[in-house]
Amino acid sequence: MTSPSASSRKALSKIACNRLQKELVEWQVNPPTGFKHKVTDNLQRWVIEVNGAPGTLYAGETYQLQVDFPEHYPMEAPQVIFVPPAPLHPHIYSNGHICLDILYDSWSPAMTVSSICISILSMLSSSPVKQRPADNDRYVKNCKNGRSPKETRWWFHDDKV
Amino acid sequence: MESEDDMHDANEIASVEEEDDYYSGGEDEEEEDMDEEGEAGEDDYSYDYADEDDDDDTGDYDFIANYSDDGDDALASRSQKSFTILKEEDIEQRQEEDITKISTVLSIPREAACILLRRYNWSVNNVHEEWFANEEVVRKAVGLLEKPFVKLPNFKEVACGICFENYSCDSLRSAACAHLFCDACWKGRGSRIFSFRFPSFLGELKLCKRATNSYISTSINDGPGCLTLRCPDPSCGAAVGQDMIDMLASDEDRKKYRRYLLRSYVEDSRKIKWCPAPGCDSAVEYVVGSGSYDVSCSCSHSFCWNCIEEAHRPVDCETVAKWVMKNSAESENMNWILANSKPCPKCKRPIEKNQGCMHMTCTPPCKFEFCWLCLGAWSDHGERTGGFYACNRYEAAKQEGVYDEAERRREMAKNSLERYTHYYERWASNQSSRQKALADLQQMQSIHLEKLSEVQSQPESQLKFIIEAWQQIVECRRVLKWTYAYGYYLPEQEATKKKVFEYLQGEAEAGLERLHQCAEKELMNYLNSDGPSKDFNDFRTKLAGLTSVTRNYFENLVRALENGLSDVDSEAASINTTTSSKNAAGTSKGKSGRGKGSSKAGNTSVRNTADDSGNWTCDQCTYMNVSSAPTCHMCHQRR
Repeated sequence: MTSPSASSRKALSKIACNRLQKELVEWQVNPPTGFKHKVTDNLQRWVIEVNGAPGTLYAGETYQLQVDFPEHYPMEAPQVIFVPPAPLHPHIYSNGHICLDILYDSWSPAMTVSSICISILSMLSSSPVKQRPADNDRYVKNCKNGRSPKETRWWFHDDKV
Repeated sequence: MESEDDMHDANEIASVEEEDDYYSGGEDEEEEDMDEEGEAGEDDYSYDYADEDDDDDTGDYDFIANYSDDGDDALASRSQKSFTILKEEDIEQRQEEDITKISTVLSIPREAACILLRRYNWSVNNVHEEWFANEEVVRKAVGLLEKPFVKLPNFKEVACGICFENYSCDSLRSAACAHLFCDACWKGRGSRIFSFRFPSFLGELKLCKRATNSYISTSINDGPGCLTLRCPDPSCGAAVGQDMIDMLASDEDRKKYRRYLLRSYVEDSRKIKWCPAPGCDSAVEYVVGSGSYDVSCSCSHSFCWNCIEEAHRPVDCETVAKWVMKNSAESENMNWILANSKPCPKCKRPIEKNQGCMHMTCTPPCKFEFCWLCLGAWSDHGERTGGFYACNRYEAAKQEGVYDEAERRREMAKNSLERYTHYYERWASNQSSRQKALADLQQMQSIHLEKLSEVQSQPESQLKFIIEAWQQIVECRRVLKWTYAYGYYLPEQEATKKKVFEYLQGEAEAGLERLHQCAEKELMNYLNSDGPSKDFNDFRTKLAGLTSVTRNYFENLVRALENGLSDVDSEAASINTTTSSKNAAGTSKGKSGRGKGSSKAGNTSVRNTADDSGNWTCDQCTYMNVSSAPTCHMCHQRR
C-alpha cells in the first residue's frame, strides 16, 4: 500500500490510538516468544528486542526492531526496520530495511505488531546463510537521508527464506 | 522545366490506365467489378484473403485460437471494416451481457460472475472452460467460497478483526468467509460521528483524506488492485465483490471502482485498445486478420492499432518506432556537435566554425587563440606555417595519418546528419502541411461549403467532390510523411529499390501538389466570385479527376512499399524475357502481389500502347520512355 513517509510523522488518529492501546495490552498479557517490548511513553514508535531463535544461525544474538505507526494505522502498514547493526540476512539490508511483503504490498489491517514479529523471526530462522542481499551497497546508497523503506518499490521473488 | 512538363503528361496517360488496375486489384472489391469479371473476380477475392492471412496473422498474433471463435464474423465484416469503435456505454453493455451470461449458465450471483470474468480477462469461453474443468480450483483461485471459512461465533459480542473493539454480532459484516469486521473499518466512520465526539478535530478531518480511513476506500484509492479485493484476514482470501463495494463504499469510491472495472474490460483484452487521443474515452476493437492496422476513432484520430502511434501505413511499426525514437533522441544533438565542432584545446568547450579563417579565438573568459586545423596555439603559427587559411603542420601531420581517424568520424557523422536532416525536414513539413489541410477541411465543411453552394447556386450534395478532395489531401500528406521515414531506412546499397522508391514518391508528391494547389487556390476564385461561374463544372471535373489520379498514385505507392518494393527484383529479371504483359505491368509502378492476375483489362490496354508506339520500359526504374529516348528519362540508364 502506498503511503508517503510524511504521513508516518503525523499524529496517530483516534482509531489508531485505540487499536494500538489494545495491541499493547494484548502484548503485555501474551507477548510473542523471543520478543521484548521496550517500554516508552511513545505509542507511535515501538522499539522491540528480538532474540534469535535457539538452534538457528542467529541463536544467542539480539537485535532491535523499530516500528513506526502512521496516522491511519492499521489501514496503512507500519514502518518496520532493524536498528543497525541489523542481522546478516539475505533479505535485510545493512541500513536495517527489511524485504518482506507483509510490510508493504501484502499488509492487511487484520495483522498486528505481534504477527509481524512472528513473521520476521520466522524469516530469520529459515535463513541458511548469513549474508547481505546482493544489491545491498547500491540500495543503501540510494536510501541516504533517512528514506523510508515504504517508499521503495519492493519486488518479492524469493519465498524460501 | 520543359522536361518536367513532359513527365507529367506521360504520367497522366499512365495513371488513367492504371485506374483499372487499381480497382480490379484493390482490397475493397466493388460489386460492379465482381459482376464484370464474374468468376475471375471472385477467385481473386478469395485468393487475396488467404494471402493476407498468411502475412498478418502468424507474425504478430498468437491468439489464433481466440480468433477462430469469431472467424465467421471476421470474414463477414472484413470487406467493410476491420475494427469497431466502442464508447463507454458499449463497453458497459458488453460487460453486462457477459456477466449475465456467466451468471445464468453457472447459476452464481452477478458479483461472482464479475469476479470470474475479471480473472479470465473477460473471456466468457475461458470462464466456461475453466469452471467446468475444475470448479473447485477456480473457486479457490478467485476466492469464491461455497461455505464460510469459519463458523459464525455464538457470542453476543465479538471483536472486530481490525480495530479490536467489541461489537454485537449483528452489527458486523463479513465476506462469504464470516471473518467479521465492523462497519467503521470496512467503510470508514462518517464525519458526523467525529464532529459529535471531537469537535476540534473537524477542521483536520476535512483536510485529511477520508480515503485512508477504511479497508475499502484504502484499497480503491490504491488503484485497480481493488478489483481483486479479498477479506482483510491474511489467511483467508475470500473475495470481496462489487455487491459489498456498492453497499459499503462512498459515492466517489464506487465511481472509481466502476471506472476500474470498465477499464479492465479494455485493458485485459488483446483485441481492444483505448484510443490514444487526449480526452477521448472510446476504445477500438480490432478484427484480427483484417489486414491494415490503421483504424480511426470516432474522435477522428486515426492510429495504428498495433503500435498506437498515429496511422503510418504503408510504413511498418518497427520503422516508425525507430524513426520516432530517432527524432526525439538527444543523440542527434550529440551527433551534430561531434560533426560540426571541435573542442577548444584549452577550455574544451565545443566550438563551431561556420566561416572565416583558421585563426580562432575562443570566447571570453578563455580567449585562447589557436589554429582550427591542427588545434595548436596560434602563437606558433604565421606566414611560415601557411598563413591564415592553411596550416602546414596539419597537412604534414595528415600525410602521416595523425588526423585520419578523428576526421573521418567527423566527416561521416556530418554526412549522416545531413541525410537525416533531409528526411526529417520533409517528414516534418508534410506533418504540418497535413495539420493545415485538416484545419482547411474542417473550415470547408463548416463554413465555405455553404457559401460556395450559395454563390455557385449548387446544392451542397453536389459539392461533395470538394470534401473528398480535401480528405484525399489529408490522407496523402499522412502517407507522404511516413514515406520519408521509410526512405531514411531504405538501405543505401539497394540502389534500384531506392530509385524506384524515389520515383514513386516523386510522382505521388507531384500529383498531390497539383491537387493541393487546385483545391486551395483555384477554389478561391469560385468561392469569391459574385455569381455562378460558367466554368464551375469544368472545375468540378478537374478537381475530381485530380483527386482520383492522386488517389491512384498513392495507392500504388502504398502497395509498393507494403510489398517492400519486392517487385523490383522480379521485374528487372523478367523484363528481358517477356516484354509484353509483364513489361507493361512494370509501368504500373510497384504492381502489388495482391493484384496479381487481376488486372487483365488494364494490362491489355497498356500493352497495346507500348506495342503501338514502340515505347520502352527502363530495366532499372521501370519508367516508360518514349521510343526515341536512348537513355531512361528518369535514371539515365541506357536502353
